[in-house]
Amino acid sequence: MKKKVLLMGKSGSGKTSMRSIIFANYIARDTRRLGATIDVEHSHVRFLGNLVLNLWDCGGQDTFMENYFTSQRDNIFRNVEVLIYVFDVESRELEKDMHYYQSCLEAILQNSPDAKVFCLVHKMDLVQEDQRDLAWSSIVYQLIPNVQQLESNLRNFAQIIEADEVLLFERATFLVISHYQCKEQRDAHRFEKISNIIKQFKLSCSKLAASFQSMEVRNSNFAAFIDVFTSNTYVMVIMSDPSIPSAATLINIRNARKHFEKLERVDGPKHSLHMRMR
Amino acid sequence: MGSNSRIECIFFSEFHPTLGPKITYQVPEEYISRELFDTVQVYIITKPELQNKLITVTAMEKKLIGCPVCIEHKKYSRNALLFNLGFVCDARAKTCALEPIVKKLSGYLTTLELESGFISNEESKQKLVPIMSTLLEELNAKGECTLPIDESNTIHVKLIDQRKDPLIVQEYDVPVFTECKDEFFRSQWDLTTQQILAYIDGFRHIQKISAEADVELNLVRIAVQNLLYYGVVTLVSIFQYSNVYCTTPKVQNLIDNKSVQEECLLYVTKPGQKRASLRDVFQLYCGLSPGTTVRDLCSRYAQQLHRVDERKLIQFGLMKGFIRRLQKYPVKATRGDRSRPPQLYTGCHSYDEICCKTGMSYRELDERLENDPNIIVCWK
Repeated sequence: MKKKVLLMGKSGSGKTSMRSIIFANYIARDTRRLGATIDVEHSHVRFLGNLVLNLWDCGGQDTFMENYFTSQRDNIFRNVEVLIYVFDVESRELEKDMHYYQSCLEAILQNSPDAKVFCLVHKMDLVQEDQRDLAWSSIVYQLIPNVQQLESNLRNFAQIIEADEVLLFERATFLVISHYQCKEQRDAHRFEKISNIIKQFKLSCSKLAASFQSMEVRNSNFAAFIDVFTSNTYVMVIMSDPSIPSAATLINIRNARKHFEKLERVDGPKHSLHMRMR
Repeated sequence: MGSNSRIECIFFSEFHPTLGPKITYQVPEEYISRELFDTVQVYIITKPELQNKLITVTAMEKKLIGCPVCIEHKKYSRNALLFNLGFVCDARAKTCALEPIVKKLSGYLTTLELESGFISNEESKQKLVPIMSTLLEELNAKGECTLPIDESNTIHVKLIDQRKDPLIVQEYDVPVFTECKDEFFRSQWDLTTQQILAYIDGFRHIQKISAEADVELNLVRIAVQNLLYYGVVTLVSIFQYSNVYCTTPKVQNLIDNKSVQEECLLYVTKPGQKRASLRDVFQLYCGLSPGTTVRDLCSRYAQQLHRVDERKLIQFGLMKGFIRRLQKYPVKATRGDRSRPPQLYTGCHSYDEICCKTGMSYRELDERLENDPNIIVCWK
C-alpha cells in the first residue's frame, strides 16, 4: 500500500532536516550540513512492512512555490493522503507564509479533498526532539491502516499478562504507533523520551557493528522489557507486579508475537489470543 | 565566425536562499522571458546529479547552454553556492563550438570564487556585467576574447572551428600538398609527420611512403589523416598512364574563375617553358573521357602537351575536382569455381586496392582477370 505524503513549507523551515531525522536516522548535528532542496525530492520509506510512504519533500523558495501552484499543480496536489505544512516560528514574513499556506489548502481541496492536513510549527535553533517525535507519531498514526484493531489487540494482550503499560514501536523509526496503559502515568512525554533513548542506543550499537536486539531494565518498583516483536515492530512491556518472574513475561511476549505477525498481514484471518498463564 | 553559432545572450543565474533560482544578470537585458526561465530553470540550477555537467536545453525556439556549478561550504547560507553562467542561441544554431567555452568559463568562475570569493561578494559580483558584455561582443565579432578580471587573473577563450571528420586514408591513396610545401613549418608537427614529409610529392601512395620512409603503414595513414583534417593535404589516386579519367561539372570553374585559371596554368606548365595557354589546358581536360587512358590522351593531344606536364595536369584536376578517376572493379559473376583471391572480387574493391593488397601489378591483375570467364569488370 502506497501513501503520498506532501511535505511543504517556507524555505529553511526544517522540512528536510525533520525527514532525515525521522526516516533516515540522521542525528540533529548531521542536518546542519544539508543543502537546500532543489524543486521536489522524492523518497520512499517502508513502514510497518506493507505500508510505503511516498514522501514529497518540496523546496520552499518562492520560485518553486509559485511553480507548484501553477504548472505543477496537478502533479503535486493529486492523490495526496497527508499534507504536512511546516511553519518557522521565527519567520518575519507571516503574511507571505499565510498566503502560501492558503494556496496550498486551495490546491489540496481541489485535487485531494480527502487529504489530512497537519501543521507543524518548527523552531530551527532549538532542537526539540520530543515535540518532533510526538508530532510525527500522530501523523504516522493516521496513516496506519488497521490501527484500531492493533490497539484493541494490544489492550487484550496487556490485560492478559497484567502489564501496567505496553508500547508498540515501528522498527526503523522507533515512533510509537500504538500503546495501552491501565492507569494514568506521571510523565506525558515519556513516549518521545523513550523513543529517543532507544534510537540513540541503537545508533551507538551500530557504530560497534552490533545490532540492538532486546533490553531488560529492573528495579524494586518495576521491570521493563524491550524486545523485537514482529518483523516491523518492537514492543515495550512495563510490569509493576514484582511477583511475576521475567521468564513468564518473556514467554508471553513470544507467544503474542505470532498473533501480531498475522495482524500485520492486512488480509490475514482473525485469530484469538492464546497466552500461557503463570 | 559563421553566423551559425552567434550568441544572442549571456546570462548569469544563481540560487537565492529565499527566492530560489533566478537570473541575476543577463546581457542584453530582458532577453530571457519569465516564461522561458520558468520552463528551463530546473536545468539551469539543478539537482546534485546534474551539477558540474555541460547541459544544453532547447525550448521556445531558443537553445540555452550552461554548466551548473555547486560549491559546498558551510560558510554559504544553505551550505552551498549554486550558479550557472550560460549562453543563449537560436534553437537552430550549431553550438558545438560554444560548449568548451561554457565549460571553461564555469571553471574560471569556480576558481575565482574559491580563491577570492569573487561571486559570493556582492561588490565583486557586479564586475560580471561588463565581463559578460565584452565576452558577448568579442566572441561574436572575432571568435575570441581575452579579458583581465583582476590583477592576477585573465580569461582567455577562443572558438575552435569544428571540422568534418576526415576520410579514412587507404594504402593506395596519394597525399598531395594543397599549399606550397615550403611554407610548411616542420617543427610544429609530430615526429612521424616530419619523417614522412619529404616523401609526400603527390605521386607516392601511402604504401610506398611507408616503405621508403621506413615508417609503419598505420602510422603513415594516421599522420596523413591528421594532415587531411587540417586541410594541409588532399588525397588523389595513384597516377598511371593506363588510368582513365573523366570530367566533372566543376571543370566549368576553370573558365569562370580567374584565380583558379592562374593557379592552374602556373601549376601545370612544364618548368622552363612559356606559360601554357588556357585553351590547350581546357582542351586536354575535356579530352579525358571513359575509355580514354592518359596514354591515349598523350598521343592524341601531343601538341597541347608541349608545354604541359600531364602528371601535374591530372594532379591539379583531381585536387580541384575538375576530373575524377574511373576505377575498375572486378565482380565475380557466377558462383562455384574459386579463383584466387575470391573475397576481393565483389565489385567493391578497385584494381588499385587489389594491387596494393596482393602486390600484383596492374598488368598481372589484368591478365589474370581477362582469362577468367567468370569475372566481369565494371568501371565506376
